[in-house]
Amino acid sequence: MKKILIVEDDQKLRNELKIYLEKNGYEALTIEKFDNSIQDILDKKADLILLDINLPYLDGEYICKEIRKTSNVPIIMVTSRDSELDELISLNNGADQYVTKPYNLQILLAKIAGLLKRTENTAINQNKIDCREFILNISKSMIEKEEKQIELTKNELKILHFLVLRKGQIVSRDEIINYLWDSESFIDDNTLTVNMTRLRTKLEEIGLKDIIETKRGQGYILK
Amino acid sequence: MKFRDFLKDNLITLILIIFALITIEILLMIYSFDILMKIYTPIAILLLYFIGLYISYLKRKTYYNNLLNTLEDLDQKYLIFELVKDPSFSDGKILKYVLEETGKSMLENVNKYKYIQEDYKEYIELWIHEIKMPIATSKMIIENNKTEVTESIDEELNKIENYIEQALFYARSNTVEKDYYIKKANLKEIVNSSILKNKDSLLQNKINIDIHDLEIEVYTDSKWCTFIINQIIQNSIKYSKEEDKKIEIYAKEEKEKVILYIKDNGIGIKKGEITRVFEKGFTGENGRINGRKSTGIGLYLCKKLCDKLGLGLELNSKKDIGTEVKMIFPKGSFMEIKNK
Repeated sequence: MKKILIVEDDQKLRNELKIYLEKNGYEALTIEKFDNSIQDILDKKADLILLDINLPYLDGEYICKEIRKTSNVPIIMVTSRDSELDELISLNNGADQYVTKPYNLQILLAKIAGLLKRTENTAINQNKIDCREFILNISKSMIEKEEKQIELTKNELKILHFLVLRKGQIVSRDEIINYLWDSESFIDDNTLTVNMTRLRTKLEEIGLKDIIETKRGQGYILK
Repeated sequence: MKFRDFLKDNLITLILIIFALITIEILLMIYSFDILMKIYTPIAILLLYFIGLYISYLKRKTYYNNLLNTLEDLDQKYLIFELVKDPSFSDGKILKYVLEETGKSMLENVNKYKYIQEDYKEYIELWIHEIKMPIATSKMIIENNKTEVTESIDEELNKIENYIEQALFYARSNTVEKDYYIKKANLKEIVNSSILKNKDSLLQNKINIDIHDLEIEVYTDSKWCTFIINQIIQNSIKYSKEEDKKIEIYAKEEKEKVILYIKDNGIGIKKGEITRVFEKGFTGENGRINGRKSTGIGLYLCKKLCDKLGLGLELNSKKDIGTEVKMIFPKGSFMEIKNK
């Protein structure tokens, strides 16, 4: 499990963030004292650091700079300041990403996942997902089954990818739409219906009939 | 300054001199001086007097004309006291002294208010950063305890967030200092982040989003722009119709500018009210019906921020058809140099 270190002085927010990250499959570490923060942070040997800017004793920007001297660990700066200049300063100090409070949690998760993926170089493996009946090739935007393959549009790929990630679970239409919006495809209910139908036709073409089941009033499930 | 006016100001001395001349004439007559003497004396005296008067007139005329011209050319007229030259006559010196003293005292006074305003703005910014903490924490708690109740609270939190952001930009819009940072920005990224900010209410209101032709680079402060577009989208949501709601956002590149169009098919604005939408506190007919609480701040603020950023902002609307907002990004000379 990936270790994420939360450096945040507000205890309540820290705990909630910890619960949230743990729910989403990460191991969340925290530090409670900030008088020796740089050493404490380095000692935790985390895979990624969520670093608040406004901290007691030393501010986040300075800490970030100091960490960068010895470590390449991905750092996401978290702050309530939101001007372009603040963002630039943080990035200049070696932060990899910049998130403003109150954060959009989906986006925060996406940034964490993106950074971890990049530092791990697992990206190559992630490009192809084996789903037993078929292989989803994300980089080529294709479904592959034995010899046959079929191309997907951007939205179809995103929908199928989301269903694959939640394989065996019921996924509601709202969840799909939410996911698509967060990845910047602003589709509406009708478009989703159209895309679902097309996706099913394509799956049928390569012999995967009824692999996506409709649960009336609940959503879809990928078997 | 006209010589006639100057003469009028010196009328008393003239009368006194004429009076003295008459006395001299009488004395000359009594002592039966030569006729030549009787004519020469008054003419010489009057001539010398007028020469003296004219010299003094010329001095003042050049001085005051110079002063008036400088005043004319000055952008900030109150700075005139910095530019007054030293006059060679005493009434001018008084004028200079008065101008300098009033000018300085006024500047001190203005600076005092500038300082108070700056101080207040700093406090507002600080307060806004503080208030974001409990909001962020509340949102985290909601995320970890999702129920119908907390989700409804979440919606209200989103509203609070929007109002807070408005306050932040309002505070920023009122300062003289440059508070923004212009750099290259992608229109698509700006528009996308504005849409994402309104994700919940757009989805809830079932508004169809159509964005296209946005792969254009502009030079602006993307944070400010996101806020402005955010306000416009919020208006579109607020003043939408019941069915088939749609917002279309696209950009067109023209010779000297890039125009970003934000179109909706909402309830539109009455013809007579369109010119007033950017006025502070103007709510119009739409702001009062159906419990849509309009503060009349949103568009006013957008316009103000656009002015500061050097962007154009135009609004067209037809009642019951929809509203179209145009944001105009000029292509600066900086860009032209780069393209060459």
